[in-house]
Parts: sequence; structure tokens; C-alpha cells
Amino acid sequence: MRIIVCVKQVPSTNEVNMDPVTNTIIREGIESVLNPFDTYAVEEAIRIKSALGGSIATISMGIPTVEEILRDTLALGADEGLLLTDRAFAGADTLATAYTLANGVKKLAPFDLIICGKQATDGDTAQVGPSLAVQLDIPHATDISHIESIDEKKIVCRRLTDDGYELLEMDLPALITVVKEINIPRLPSIAGIRASKKASIKKVGVNDLTVDESRLGLKGSPTQVVKTFIPSHDVDCEIITGKPEQQAATLVQRLTEKNLLDF
Amino acid sequence: MDETVKAMTTEFEEYLRDESRVVGEAQSISFPKSEEDVLEVVSLMRKSKNPITIQGARTGLAASAVPNGGHIMNMGKMNKILGARFDEKENKFYLRLQPGVLLSQLRKILLNKNFETEGWSNESKSALANFAPGQWFFSPDPTETSASIGGMISCNASGARTFFYGPTRNYISSMRIVLANGSVAELTRGGQKAKGKIFSLDTLDLHRIISNLPDYQMPNVKNASGYFVREDMDLIDFFIGAEGSLGIITEIEVILLPSPKAIWGITSFFPNEKTALRFVRALRGEKVEGADIFNKKPVAIEFFNHYALDLLRKQKEESTAFAGIQELKDSYHTAVYTEFHGDSDQELWEVVAKLGTLIGQLGADENNTWVANNDRDMEKLLSFRHAVPESVNMLIDQRRKSDPTLTKLGTDMAVPDAYLDKVMDMYNSDLALKGLEFVIFGHIGNNHVHVNILPRNAEDYKTGKELYLQWSRQVVDWGGTVSAEHGVGKLKRAFLLEMYKEYGIGQMRELKRLFDPQGMINAGNMFTFN
Repeated sequence: MRIIVCVKQVPSTNEVNMDPVTNTIIREGIESVLNPFDTYAVEEAIRIKSALGGSIATISMGIPTVEEILRDTLALGADEGLLLTDRAFAGADTLATAYTLANGVKKLAPFDLIICGKQATDGDTAQVGPSLAVQLDIPHATDISHIESIDEKKIVCRRLTDDGYELLEMDLPALITVVKEINIPRLPSIAGIRASKKASIKKVGVNDLTVDESRLGLKGSPTQVVKTFIPSHDVDCEIITGKPEQQAATLVQRLTEKNLLDF
Repeated sequence: MDETVKAMTTEFEEYLRDESRVVGEAQSISFPKSEEDVLEVVSLMRKSKNPITIQGARTGLAASAVPNGGHIMNMGKMNKILGARFDEKENKFYLRLQPGVLLSQLRKILLNKNFETEGWSNESKSALANFAPGQWFFSPDPTETSASIGGMISCNASGARTFFYGPTRNYISSMRIVLANGSVAELTRGGQKAKGKIFSLDTLDLHRIISNLPDYQMPNVKNASGYFVREDMDLIDFFIGAEGSLGIITEIEVILLPSPKAIWGITSFFPNEKTALRFVRALRGEKVEGADIFNKKPVAIEFFNHYALDLLRKQKEESTAFAGIQELKDSYHTAVYTEFHGDSDQELWEVVAKLGTLIGQLGADENNTWVANNDRDMEKLLSFRHAVPESVNMLIDQRRKSDPTLTKLGTDMAVPDAYLDKVMDMYNSDLALKGLEFVIFGHIGNNHVHVNILPRNAEDYKTGKELYLQWSRQVVDWGGTVSAEHGVGKLKRAFLLEMYKEYGIGQMRELKRLFDPQGMINAGNMFTFN
């Protein structure tokens, strides 16, 4: 079984500041980590590999330092890492990212399964996984919380929905995106880190790919961020005092005023 | 002020107990907001001859904050940060606090730099120019972060990182104390010291307290038992670890250190306890047969015995609360957590690589380790550590449903380094002999593990209590302490007596009477007043 896991480097905190001019995250001074949802993707790949054998490649697009994040996945049990890094890739939206990743994945082909985290915690779009599947023309399923069974030909998995779950069967090769209910990601061991320090991460630039350059980076990104703002969460709180009967009466009055009581 | 002193009603019921789950009694309660309020309450209570029990956040495990009649003075509303100071030469930052500030509150403020500076002096405000978010940290780290700083001082609290940084005592540079007679003393580290065995303490209203220092010996181990006494001692140290019995802390200056640039935590698993103990000794820099000398001092060395791991396995299966903790392989018998602080990840990786080599030299496997080198993964290792005492509490709560008299029996003893193997042998063989259920975890770097006996019935409880007393005698005999971090409070007075005997306790009582002749403040903590 050949498994490819897509990973992304994200800020380790949700409390980031935005650059008001460029509308991008100010990353200076903030520790970068493997996107939390991707840790579940890596873990699931390792579990499948230990059950069925095979190999795991991890892939990311980003600045050269993302190499360290890929190395972290090797420390956990991935076999090789590929980094798509080039100025031409910069400023990509989800469409251009998926296009670039699809071309990177071709370098790692043939494969049976691609696993992505359900979304990255910085952009929160959840678009890259499905978009990548479309670009590769393979079936996909999002929000997978459990793999019921998998063999060389097909995968049966549980998809988490608002109301419960769906059981889906897909032919391989396919792509899934996973949610945190799927497993408990392991931590690396000293032996794993030791091995990962010695491994080399393959770096791929635009010249190593056969691509339509107009579909890369900022040029290939139809998405435009016009404005960003912090949503307001104004919550009014009124403490109702008095004797219990008075409190109850006041509460009923308030709820009636807001049409929240419907007898 | 009359409004400040409130009669005890059911509304205040929770203030009759602390985390020890002992329930006391009281007639009135107050929540002072300032030193003036404290002075007024003290004066009122002195006139009405009502003893005062001082409370922080009631997270203590030894019932120090549980009242025994009289008045409760709860410091929860004295929770402001009053000012700041930067010492460029020493590269230390100082904060002036009220005693009710919580550790969690302080940590959050340090991380985000969101001080409320209203009422601060211009000097304090300008000191903040040297403060970046997360740049400074307060090193004492008891597990319970809802503890108050005043409470931490009163039991000289410590935590995992005490192995490297030392206990709370080391990070207190000055304090203001209200004494039982209504005088106020201002004590600064280095400012007022004993001369040999004689000390003289001047209060701000020019009262002078002169006496000889008690001459009992403090154990040469991590300790939170009995008044701190040493020749030429700093007088501020009397009030640290005094369990609130010598005076009421109204203001504190804490010392902050520069935050480490890199932090790595490693949990290592061993096939048996013996190998784990050899690992601990090697980590401390001791020569261990077959292993290289390890020369980077860890910040923390924590231990989990096989029953602690088994309890986690069981709770993980049965309770959703622990479903998220890391999975434990069946072959993992005993675990040791180590933490290193340094200037860069590269520096710490080199240390951890040597740690892996050491594990191999001891006959264990460096594959059986969990390494965390970012906040997120550190949090996972922390949750794992905290899951042990939490699991114990859950188990005991369950058992109390069928027998409400049962409680956990948790020890807090420490011994000198040379007795590590002996003390572990003693615990294991005595517990096996008596057939008791137990887990052992805690600060093994300081030979300070917590044995938690998990009684299944009243008989187990009785047997456990007897063992506990028997161990305290042996531990004292080896030069150890009966309480290394939780304090003595009202629950461990019998053990303190084992440690200092009648003579030492008599001297402590004399010291207490010197500061508080009528037994007005926290009388009954550590020893009976009369």
C-alpha cells in the first residue's frame, strides 16, 4: 500500500495578528507546527502501513523551512518527504495550491491512498483536499472518522456528518480527509527523531515539474481577500436578582419580550 | 467594615473545606480587599477573641485552610498585581502582588502581558518596557494552577520543575506581613537577617521582636515541614512554609526568570522498575554501572510505577475523560518523565540524543519514548502526568459511594539521594506484604514520590494509615522529611511530631507564641497550639 499524506505548516496558536495592509497573518515570532488535523492524517497512514505494509510519503508546499515539518513526519514513521518550494508557488489560494500539490503527487505516483487533515487551522477552508482529488481525477470523501476496512482495491470508511455518520465505499486510488475522532496521534520517539535527522527531504521547484505556470501561485489564484475583520461576539448578560418567585417572573417576562417562549 | 465581616450562612458553606475534603466550622467570614481591611478584621477579632483561619484558594491537601471555629479570612479578593520592577544587572523581573493572585492568573498575564496598570507608579509602568509577552516566567509549578500565590508561599509549594529551579521560597524577594497584634512588618530578602542564632525583627510601628532561633535541625532534603530555621537566616524565610501561622501576608514581591528559549519533554518507558531507578540516578549525574556520565541537569524527573500506568490504561478504557491520552503499549512497565530547558532546539536535541544512548546502555529501548518539543506536544505529556492523580481521585470518589468514610492516603515524604532505592524497596515490599492497592508517582529526582494507597474498605484504610506512620519513622531516621511539598496542616501533625519530636515541636510552639501569644492566626496548623 502506497500512502501519500499532505501536510501544512501553521502557526502554533490561534491568537495571531493580521497585517492590516496585506491582509495576511503576521508570522514573525510565532512558533510553527504541523497543522493539528494533519497529525491525525499522518497517524492514520502509519496505522494502515503497520497493518498492510507498504510506504508513506508526506508532501507539502511552502517556504524552505517547511522541510522541518516534513522531517517531523519522518520521525513519526513516514518513509520520505517531498517539499514543493519555489517563489513561483507563493501567494497561492486553495485552487493553485491543489494544482501544485497534484503535480507534486505525480512525482510520488503510483499511489493507493491520499490522506489529508480535514482543514488547516490557519485558513480553515477545508478546500485543498477535495480540490486535489478533483485535479487528480480520483474519488474522495471528507470528514472521515473511522476506516472500517481497507485493502488493495477499496476502502470502506465512516464519514462524520452533523446528524451522525455515513458509511462510504470507494475504489482506490482515492483521497480522504480525516477528523480528530479518527485516532490519537502518537508522539515521536528518540529513535524516530534520530533517524529523521539523517534523512534527506526532496525539494522540488517549478523547473522540476511539467506545469502550466499561469496556474501557479498568485497568478493562478482567482481568490481575492478584499477585507478581513474580527467578528464581534457581543453578549449581553443580565443578572436577575430578588426572591426566587420574582426571579422566575422576571425571567419569563424577559423571554417573552424576546419571543423565546411559545406556548 | 461591619459589612465586611459576615455571619456564616449556607451561602459560604464551601469555605468550610479545602481540597483535603475535611470540613470545619466557623462563625464568621470576611473577604478583605486591602491591608487596611485585614488590619481592621484582625483588630475586631482580637477584641471578640475569635481566632482567624486564613484561606487562599483552598487547594491545599493538608487542611491548613479548614477553620476550627472562629473567623475565616479569605484572601481571594486581594488579587491585584500592584507594580513591577526590572533589575537589568541581574536580568530578573519583579512583580508586586496581593496574596490572592492565582498561579493560573499570573501565568496568563505573563504570557499575554495584559497587566491592569491602573494605580501603578510611573516607575512600575516604565519597567514594563522591558517586558515582552512570554519573555518572563514564574518557575514554581505545583500541579494545581488554581492555587493562590499566598497559599503557595504558606506551604513553600513546589512541582516537577523544583528539581532544577527550587521551591517557591527561592522566588520571593519581599513581603508585607500583618502580625497577630496588628503590627505590620516589611521583610526583604537580604534586608533583615538573624545574627548567628539570634534574631531581631522590627515592625513598621517600631515593635521589636527579639529571640533566639530554635535549634532543631531541618532535614537536608526538599521540605515543607515545620518552620524554616537556619543560622544567619533571612527573616522573610520564617513566613514561607509557615502555613499562615506566624502572620498574614498582605503583599508579595515575586522574582521572575527569563523564559527558556527551548523546552523539551521526554517520557521514557522501561521494562521494569529497577532499570527506571538506574535511569533516574544516571540523570542526576550519578555514576551508574555500564552507562556514561550524563552531564546536563534535567529541569524535572518524574516517575510513574506500573500500577499508575495500569490505572491509566483502565481509566482510558472506561472513562471518556481520559480517552484522549496517549496509548500505552502493553510492554511499558514503568515510566520516567524528564524535561530540559535550553537556548535552542539544536542544543536540546544533542542532550536528548545522549539520553537515548543512555537508555540503550541501561538495557532499555529508545524507541519506547515520547518526545515533545513544542507547546502542543508538551501539553499532551502534561495531561498524561496529571491524569494519574485525577484517575486516583475518580477511583476514590467511586469507592466513596459505597463507603463514604474512605479517602485516598497520599504520602508526601522525601529522603536524601543515597536512600532512593531503599525507600522504593520499602514502599513496594510493605505494600505487597499487606496486600494493599496503590499507585506510586511523583518527583523522583528529589526522592519524593507520592504513594497513593487506594483503600477498598475500612480495614485497608486502617492498615494504610499504620503503614504511613511506620514509613514516616523510617524516613525521618534516614534524614528525610514527612512532607516535602503539601505541608503539614491539620492532617499530618502526628508525622511532624515523629520528625521533630516533642523538643522540636515545643520550640516551634514557642516561636509561634512569640509572634502570636493568643493563638489568633491559623492556630492548629503543624502542631496544636496549647
